[in-house]
Amino acid sequence: MQAGSLGRLEDLQISEQTVSGNAVAERPRVEVRNLSKTFPGMRALSDVDLDIRAGEIHALVGGNGSGKSTLIKILTGVYQGDEGGVLRTGDHEIAAEDSSPEFARSAGIHVVHQDLGVFIDMSVAENIALGHGYETAMGIQVRWASQRQRTRRLLERFDIEAEPGTPLRALSQAVRTQVAIARALQDQEDDSEGLLILDEPTSSLPAHEVELLVSTLRRYATRGQAILYVSHHLEEVLDLADRITVLRDGHTVGTFEAAALDEDALIGLIVGRQIDRVFPAMPATTATTPLLEVHNLCAGPLEDVSVSVTPGEVVGIGGLLGSGRTELLRAVFGDLPVRSGEMIFDGKRLKAESPAEAMKAGIAYVPENRAVDAAFHDLPVFANISMANVRDYWTLGRIAYRRMRSDAKLSMAEFLVKASSGEAMLSTLSGGNQQKVILARWLRRKPRLLLLDEPTQGVDVGARAEIYQLVRNAVSEGAAVLLVASDFEELAPIADRVVMLSEGRVTGEVRPPDLTAERLMVAANHRTGATNGH
Amino acid sequence: MATEIRAGKQGGERPRASLREVNVGRVALHGLERGGLPILLIIMFAFFALDSKSGTAFTSSGNLRNILGNQAVTGLVALGMVVPLVSGYFDLSVAGTTGITNVAVAATIGPHQWPVIGTIAFALAMGALIGFINGFLVAKMRLSGFVVTLGSYTLLGGLSLFYTKGSFITEKIPASFGQWGSATLLGIPRPFWLLIIVGLVVWYTLAHTPFGRYLESIGSNEEAARLVGINVTRMIWASFVISGVLGAIAGVLETSRAGSASAETGAAFLFPAFTAVFLGATTIRPGRYNVWGTLVGTYFVAISVSGLTLLGANIWVSPTFNGVALIVAVALSTLIARARERRSALAAPNVARQSGNGGQASLQQAGSNASASDP
Repeated sequence: MQAGSLGRLEDLQISEQTVSGNAVAERPRVEVRNLSKTFPGMRALSDVDLDIRAGEIHALVGGNGSGKSTLIKILTGVYQGDEGGVLRTGDHEIAAEDSSPEFARSAGIHVVHQDLGVFIDMSVAENIALGHGYETAMGIQVRWASQRQRTRRLLERFDIEAEPGTPLRALSQAVRTQVAIARALQDQEDDSEGLLILDEPTSSLPAHEVELLVSTLRRYATRGQAILYVSHHLEEVLDLADRITVLRDGHTVGTFEAAALDEDALIGLIVGRQIDRVFPAMPATTATTPLLEVHNLCAGPLEDVSVSVTPGEVVGIGGLLGSGRTELLRAVFGDLPVRSGEMIFDGKRLKAESPAEAMKAGIAYVPENRAVDAAFHDLPVFANISMANVRDYWTLGRIAYRRMRSDAKLSMAEFLVKASSGEAMLSTLSGGNQQKVILARWLRRKPRLLLLDEPTQGVDVGARAEIYQLVRNAVSEGAAVLLVASDFEELAPIADRVVMLSEGRVTGEVRPPDLTAERLMVAANHRTGATNGH
Repeated sequence: MATEIRAGKQGGERPRASLREVNVGRVALHGLERGGLPILLIIMFAFFALDSKSGTAFTSSGNLRNILGNQAVTGLVALGMVVPLVSGYFDLSVAGTTGITNVAVAATIGPHQWPVIGTIAFALAMGALIGFINGFLVAKMRLSGFVVTLGSYTLLGGLSLFYTKGSFITEKIPASFGQWGSATLLGIPRPFWLLIIVGLVVWYTLAHTPFGRYLESIGSNEEAARLVGINVTRMIWASFVISGVLGAIAGVLETSRAGSASAETGAAFLFPAFTAVFLGATTIRPGRYNVWGTLVGTYFVAISVSGLTLLGANIWVSPTFNGVALIVAVALSTLIARARERRSALAAPNVARQSGNGGQASLQQAGSNASASDP
């Protein structure tokens, strides 16, 4: 498999050269040269080059942590690049280390993020005005009539089917995205300047609305707008983009004509050969009786989901953001009301209606968003570790703090937490160590079923391996694991099999020997239809 | 892996080396931070005691007993505010509960001639019921605690006024009931002893029971608390019931102290108690609401106001002082809480030891929770 993708890569490098050979001598609208970005202890970008032509939809793709967001943040002046890089848009050129929001504004670089940043209860006209300033009389009184007129002109210019007075709540997600784009571009005189960056614009769109947005973008591009399009949906990227730049681990893999690529080739470019990230292999599953069986579960966005996991098994839950992965774990943990379907845990019907009940059955849940859902930042490490079993320390009418502290110390050693002491505030620890604290909180309870939601998010490579080592230890002691991970390179070696979710439904299951990052990426990008690891 | 090990080593060595250098200064700073308010209290006391103008009157045993006894009610109201605040929720209605139970006790024991035990039980049940309703609205219905309790505070004042029709209830209140609150034990007024006992119980509950730990975890991160199996709704609800009962105890004591009741009583306690809670969060366990700090805060405000009055200050001084003290207190306690968050790993052992003492939550959380629960 590795050799295969390498072979394909070489072919493509040739085709890239052909592309640049044919390139018109015209100066590209946007140029990024030798852009590097170093964070303390990590190089996010290394000598990245990027050209975007006028009238082009240029896609930027890459796995998680490949540097896409960092690149966008430097272009928009949120971050500054290292010395030596150059950014240019039209006639505006600047050294990468001087990048600033002011530069982005003057160069006409606008970004529309996934969450749009629109005000859903306000009208189209007001949303537009909030990006530009209201039409006013003597700078005080809002002139609503001319505000509406101005909005109407913009709506016509951007082909948006909406009235100025309509609240955004009443519009579809695709039209809201159009409004956000119009708001970003309204100060631009025409389409022959600036750059529009779209960050995952379709990830929250239902399939039929994607079409509308895609055709709108094509029209904007035809008029000369340069668009940088960031997306995980590779089918969509191949369909929409003129050219595609692939980033991997902060390096430019290359820029390719979209027409010269197919999905497999693109996945090969994104994944590359296996990077030197070593994850411990999980012990082979021996048990055959499932610990947990989920039958036809409907809860939240989940429709008719069936999954099972046996003791000592790691079942991966694959799928894109919003596919219902997190909700599946939450439903098992009793944190999401179940509409229908049933769950059998250890041969008995599981009726967990609260996390406390699920915990009593022996279920543990490490949530995706540590800062919001798991961390007690202003409490010491020992209190964070003990939080899921405070009651065990309630003896003789008081809490045995001494025992709580010494037990926490043992847990810190066992679960590889590095902190100055158990008294350190959780907020003073690195992300990886915070995550190990959360893991310790649950693993010390010896759970029978461990629900892990992105357990290595925001964690450096070394700590990742350690975290999976801890999971592995629990698995070899007989714990069953449901694991959600967006990084397929991580999921593939660790899971025994992966159940794919898409839009709340199970779309297939990937088992060895098909269980590779490439295969998972293919499966995840199929919005519908079974992908039974064919 | 290799890089990880190296990083780990650095991380271990650096703090140890610098810890030695900064230790002395840091310990002194911490001592000052934790003991600042008690020291200020002593300085203030000494100043008023030694001043030729206020000295004699200020140090008279009558005045001192008066301060200790009267302010016990304020202290109880402040403790009532502390309990839900630890989980991040404001309860402004405590003072209103004190006001209406003051009226209820005076009316039942006086005109209606109830036995003392019956009247106290009635007042406590009333406080619990008010707390239960507040808790229902805040914990169950998820309404903003600040707004709901501001509403119930005002409502309780209105009901008191409805019952008393604006006049005092003094009629037939047995003298023995009033004497209890004026008597002393070992030379110290009984109400002060009551405050200390209630303070011990509240401190124990917050610091040494799972319930207290749960409240602290909710104050730190409500969502995370829910996901470690804590019944967040029930805990917050219970904290409001406790708050109501503490408000009622204050109401009973106030009736005994004053020998009368009026609809105006409750309002007099709101601001001093509120100020005491925030002043308390600057001391003992800086950056967190805590029982002993709150009591120090109560008497700091009381002594300052009494001293200033004896110095001949006008009636406007007391509310002005309360206002300034509240703003200074909230600023100091918030800044301390923020600085604590920012403090680097090297300071952690010193800081954390304090928080091991018990169960109170951060101030910043209180503000954010209060606003987060706004609909």
